[in-house]
Amino acid sequence: MDIVDMLLNGFYVSLSLSNLLACTVGVLLGTLVGVLPGIGPIGTIALLLPLSFNMNATASIIMFAGIYYGAMFGGSTTSILLNVPGEAASVITCMDGHAMAKKGRGGAALAVAAIGSFIAGTMGLIGLTFFAPMLADAALIFGPPEYFSIAVLGLIILTRLTGTSMLKSSLMAVVGIMLGTIGLDSLTGISRFSFGIDALQRGIEFSVIAMGLFGVSELLETMIQPTIKQRLQKVRFRELYPNQEEWRRSIAPIFRGGMIGFLAGLLPGPAGIISTFASYAVEKKRSKNPQEFGNGAIEGVAGPESANNAAASATMIPLLSLGLPFSAGSAILLSGFMIHGIVPGPTLINQHADLFWGLIASMYIGNVLLLIINLPLVGIFASLLKTPLNILMPIVLVVTITGAYSINNSFFDLALLIGFGILGFFMKRTGYDPAPLIIGLILGPTLETGLTQSLIIGNGNVWSFFTRPISGIILGIGLFIIIYNLSGWGGSWRKDSGY
Amino acid sequence: MNVGLLFLVGLLSLGLLTGGCSLQSNTVANQYPTKPITLIVPFAAGGSVDMMARTIEKVALRHLGQAIVVTNIPGGAATIGWNELAGAKPDGYTIGVIGMSSLLQPLYGETRYHYPTALEPFVQVISIPAIAVVRADQPWKDARDLLDYAQQHPGEIKYGHPGLGTGNHVAGEMVALSSGAHMAQVPFKGEADALAALLGGHIQLMFATPPSIKEHLKSGKVRVVGVATEQRLTDPVFSNVPTFKEQGVDVLLSFWYGFGAPKGIPEAEKSKLIAGLQAMVNDPEFKTNMEKSGMPVEYLGAQEFQQKWITDSGRLAKIVKDTGIAERIANQKK
Repeated sequence: MDIVDMLLNGFYVSLSLSNLLACTVGVLLGTLVGVLPGIGPIGTIALLLPLSFNMNATASIIMFAGIYYGAMFGGSTTSILLNVPGEAASVITCMDGHAMAKKGRGGAALAVAAIGSFIAGTMGLIGLTFFAPMLADAALIFGPPEYFSIAVLGLIILTRLTGTSMLKSSLMAVVGIMLGTIGLDSLTGISRFSFGIDALQRGIEFSVIAMGLFGVSELLETMIQPTIKQRLQKVRFRELYPNQEEWRRSIAPIFRGGMIGFLAGLLPGPAGIISTFASYAVEKKRSKNPQEFGNGAIEGVAGPESANNAAASATMIPLLSLGLPFSAGSAILLSGFMIHGIVPGPTLINQHADLFWGLIASMYIGNVLLLIINLPLVGIFASLLKTPLNILMPIVLVVTITGAYSINNSFFDLALLIGFGILGFFMKRTGYDPAPLIIGLILGPTLETGLTQSLIIGNGNVWSFFTRPISGIILGIGLFIIIYNLSGWGGSWRKDSGY
Repeated sequence: MNVGLLFLVGLLSLGLLTGGCSLQSNTVANQYPTKPITLIVPFAAGGSVDMMARTIEKVALRHLGQAIVVTNIPGGAATIGWNELAGAKPDGYTIGVIGMSSLLQPLYGETRYHYPTALEPFVQVISIPAIAVVRADQPWKDARDLLDYAQQHPGEIKYGHPGLGTGNHVAGEMVALSSGAHMAQVPFKGEADALAALLGGHIQLMFATPPSIKEHLKSGKVRVVGVATEQRLTDPVFSNVPTFKEQGVDVLLSFWYGFGAPKGIPEAEKSKLIAGLQAMVNDPEFKTNMEKSGMPVEYLGAQEFQQKWITDSGRLAKIVKDTGIAERIANQKK
């Protein structure tokens, strides 16, 4: 087969000493920035861009890509061990990953996350290898009405994700949507709710809010714990890796997560984080023991952690075959190509065959390297917990603050980080779950943009949302879920007599 | 790797990320610059203008004797970064990327600073024309065809642009105004989203720039129906695209970017800075690197750039008024 031949040639390219070295450096750096809370691949790649002028084009692109997908591997580490998400895309992993760590299964969670990341990342790559141009074109069928419908469906499904009361979850989602309206609106050209504060015009940065609500609030939580409790359960070495039962339960979620992540990666938006939430929702729905979720269900780690890696592979598809960066991460990768005079797009595969296939082959190699690097690290990271939390947590806080600052070089973001940290602390104490807020914050703007754009395109016809087949089907599913839930809700209402 | 080492590496990378916070030293005018110079980029990392800044970062030391440190301050249609720039101490240690839209933004209502007077342009680096793009399977061969159709079918052509009041939007309204055609504008959040909608056939037309369209034009997926320059572009991929002017549509609009600083830098520092920037932009290495990224350098010295700054300031004020964009945004603010 033609593609296989070219891929083999790609392996030949990427196994040259310099390219292999670039790949190794990339994935190592990626793992590192993934592990450090708040510090992400974007800032790292931006810093290295000027240095790469002197590098060979193929090598530097292989390295940048390595940082990008490598970061998805490391993100789960602090989520699981400390309940502090390493990246926005690992927020949901905190729920069950950390619960597992508390039970002494932190090692197993880390190992499953690493292996799931490997499997799903490779699945994404297979899709990228064989179907890239086709899938990229197929994704273009999705226009503003479809994005609107996806956002609606997402809000319906994901708001009830973590299982607190319907009322509280919906309230949080609404608050999230409201926060999402802050800032200069590109649809109207006006500044909304910015009260003359410059930094608010930029809008609320969702990764800062995620770090505050999940990370900083957890740091505050440890502060009020009595000192005796400040040691997490010790991890015994033989318990570092998943047992058979845990394996059995993880396999299917890994593959499902891979599929979800792959599909999400094809569309605009922060695919990494959306796919993790979606995967979590699917696993919870499919599980026979949904009450276990939030208390250390391994499916809740395996699915989402796989999803974000498949998404990382899949975002390369619109980038490589259409030159369209659909997320901040792929925008910076695009720069990595451009500074070498290589413009990704429909002509890339033919004009730079060596580079294209070399890059893809390097990603297969990088995924294997990441697995080799990460599995032994499980033990090391798990032993991190031997450090008393009153020493560890301040260091984590410093790293988090630095990471939050580096996103926009803004002190205001730090105020947001701390403010939402305190808010998150009280939200957790009062039983308000922050996850729906993040979902509202991410999907709200998509909802609004999609609605406005669709109405302009459809000459103000609201029914066009239902008459376009894909959009209609998606909205139909949403409607069905609402009706189904309402009927179920009515039944459980009598049982629980409210909240 | 043990834990201590891990954190050491972590802290080191922190140091890198927060780089540029150097110790304050006494500035003596004739020794200027004695510390690294901050270059504010009002856009997020990644993207062509950010790349221009990072390319200059690379050659700065050679010509200025000090490093240039890029600081991205994105958001608010670049106004947050420009506010930071305009409010910075005019001591020659803070410069920034400025562009055509620093003249546009104040026309839409209150910005913290009036950039045309609060900032001072030093050198122009690039100038990229606006182009009108349709999908190749559309029947319109050129701008005339398209505009005739738009005139006969008012409102049927939907054109995309990356945000209300952006240069691309202005270009679209200029085309509509000068031909009397009515086209509906669809704002997107960035050029990539708009291009995706065009390729998917959700909108019929988009106003873009050559670098983002080139590969799609080469592959035959899109057609460029007009370019907003006096002469046709020299790039062979675009050289057979007619200008709007030759098609009887009087539209000229280029997005230019360069370097500038807050007003009021002392003369000694200013002339040193301008000389340094001039040398950097004309450095063969910088030029080759820019060429490679698809943005050939179109250098203008301080005097010519300042002249352009003033002319365009007046011209754009008239355009946003005539096209009704200013009014449209002002109405929404009520």
